[in-house]
Amino acid sequence: MIAGLAPSLSRYGRGLVPLLWGAGLVGLLTWLPRAEAWFRWLAPEAREVIYPRDDFAVLLLNHLALVGVASGLAILLGVGAALAVTRPWGRDFLPLASQLAAMGQTFPPVAVLALAVPSLGFGALPTVVALVLYGLLPILRNGLAGIEGIDPAVREAARGMGMSPGQILWRLELPLAAPVMLAGIRTSVTVGIATAAIGSTIGAKTLGDPIIAGIVNGNSAYILQGALLIGVLALTLDSLFEAVTPRRG
Amino acid sequence: MAVHSSSRAANRVLLVLGLALLAALLTLDLASVAPNRILPGEGVSLWAWLGPWSASVWAFPLLVMAFAWRGSARALVLARVVVVAALALLPWVLAAFAASRVPDASSQARVTLGAGFWVLLFLLLMCWVELHARLRHGLWLVLLPLLSLGLALTQGHLESLALIREYASRSDAFHAALRYHLLLVSAAVGLSLLLAFALALAMRRFPSLRRGGFALLSLIQTIPSLALFGLLLAPLAWLAARYAWLGELGVQGIGWAPALIALVGYSLLPMTRNSVVALDGVDPRVVEAARGMGMSPAQVFWRVRLPLAAPVILEGIRITTVQAVGLAAVAALIGAGGLGTFIFQGLGQAAMDLVLLGALPILALAVAADSLLSALARLTRRQPGREAR
Repeated sequence: MIAGLAPSLSRYGRGLVPLLWGAGLVGLLTWLPRAEAWFRWLAPEAREVIYPRDDFAVLLLNHLALVGVASGLAILLGVGAALAVTRPWGRDFLPLASQLAAMGQTFPPVAVLALAVPSLGFGALPTVVALVLYGLLPILRNGLAGIEGIDPAVREAARGMGMSPGQILWRLELPLAAPVMLAGIRTSVTVGIATAAIGSTIGAKTLGDPIIAGIVNGNSAYILQGALLIGVLALTLDSLFEAVTPRRG
Repeated sequence: MAVHSSSRAANRVLLVLGLALLAALLTLDLASVAPNRILPGEGVSLWAWLGPWSASVWAFPLLVMAFAWRGSARALVLARVVVVAALALLPWVLAAFAASRVPDASSQARVTLGAGFWVLLFLLLMCWVELHARLRHGLWLVLLPLLSLGLALTQGHLESLALIREYASRSDAFHAALRYHLLLVSAAVGLSLLLAFALALAMRRFPSLRRGGFALLSLIQTIPSLALFGLLLAPLAWLAARYAWLGELGVQGIGWAPALIALVGYSLLPMTRNSVVALDGVDPRVVEAARGMGMSPAQVFWRVRLPLAAPVILEGIRITTVQAVGLAAVAALIGAGGLGTFIFQGLGQAAMDLVLLGALPILALAVAADSLLSALARLTRRQPGREAR
């Protein structure tokens, strides 16, 4: 999608777009701490205009680590569950799993995040748990859609050729379902980045920190710094997914 | 999914859920009792409350498991009776618990729902979903637990629940926030519907707009909400300072203005995509036939194209509304008000029941919007003389 903004670029290689966004992210990281003069203009009365409490790189790495751990777990659980309920021994659970995946996605991520606090307290743990719980739903849903969407005739043909169930899984079902699964993972990661930012309100250290601090102290310079970094981070990762998604046609 | 050929065998899903229900009843705290708002509560398990009488509660999962073991359609109908009864009794169990632990409802003491309660509720709902997938009919049964809950609430039996106490101490603010939340969501959905429809028409007129248009809309969709609110702050503050009339309208860097703009921005992608798909999906032969019958272009649009496209457009409205209900909660962070206010206030004060007071209605709103709008979409699809998509 992002590649659509630069059609001439996409012709030379879609890998270039995430590289450009990534370079933008690194550029922001080095420029922001030196940009006092610019941000001074936004918040003339503030005592400090560059978010002082943490290094932006530390926040970025923390943010990425939270989303990375949560997404890894969500992929394992989501794909695992999708495979389990489409095997003959797990098929009984298929209706429940697909209903759960569909209904769970109507739950707003903020509500899930907030509801994780009473049982798990504040900090990174409830954030990761909420991210995993919420993030595995689109993965599960797309996983089911991908596997169930395979033409039964293809599976029949593979069986006729003498492939074992394991071979059918690894050489047929997974490769055929991969694009749809990848789309689910992409949705999951996008929501994860946004939700991790809100995780700042429950005590996780993320790029949301400058924004929250800026809102609390009425310092719009902090807010803009956090917002720029989160925005460019999200666009970088999304364009990365765009680049690795196989294109049809 | 039709009733499986395996439906006469034991229902393994319900067996697992029944076991989980038993385990939750045996191990987790149902609720906790705190002397006031600040002191932490003391957890109470089912056994600690009822002693040997707990067995009467265990009967519910045991019955569900027995019926699941039979697995016949009739046994599943009976299992559903048990599940619905359990859900309907839940508020009264809470009321009885509250009455026994907080005898003086006017005191400061309060009952906080424990992990056990939430796990119980979740597992019972899973049982319901499983049974509904197998049996299909009888969706109206959902109303029974809701009616029961409504009755328990209006009769004042749940007054010593911490959640209700939080509500009682700020009921005016709650209603105002609820109204505001609904207003924000409907304004965003309405505005984005108009804009998206205009965009969809333009994209159909000028196909070259499509690629770039959708790329831009998905770019907006990718930016996290908190960041988008932040990015809107400076430009809006500048505009409000520059043009006094905007400031008089209440446009500021924080408040409803950035919230509404961001909500509309996020809504545009699903809304435009569905409108385009819907309008593209209308069979050209039908349009041709309508023209042949002598309909004017306006008549063709309003009486043929639009009704035929309605189900898919409604689907777009559904996605957008559910999304906006959740995003409006985040908007509370930038001072836009709404139910999210209670979530973030509660998090700030470490008052979990205040968090619930914000989060539960938001959840309920999202689920209600989802089911209402999908029912509406089914209804428009089912009208006579129309092929299902």
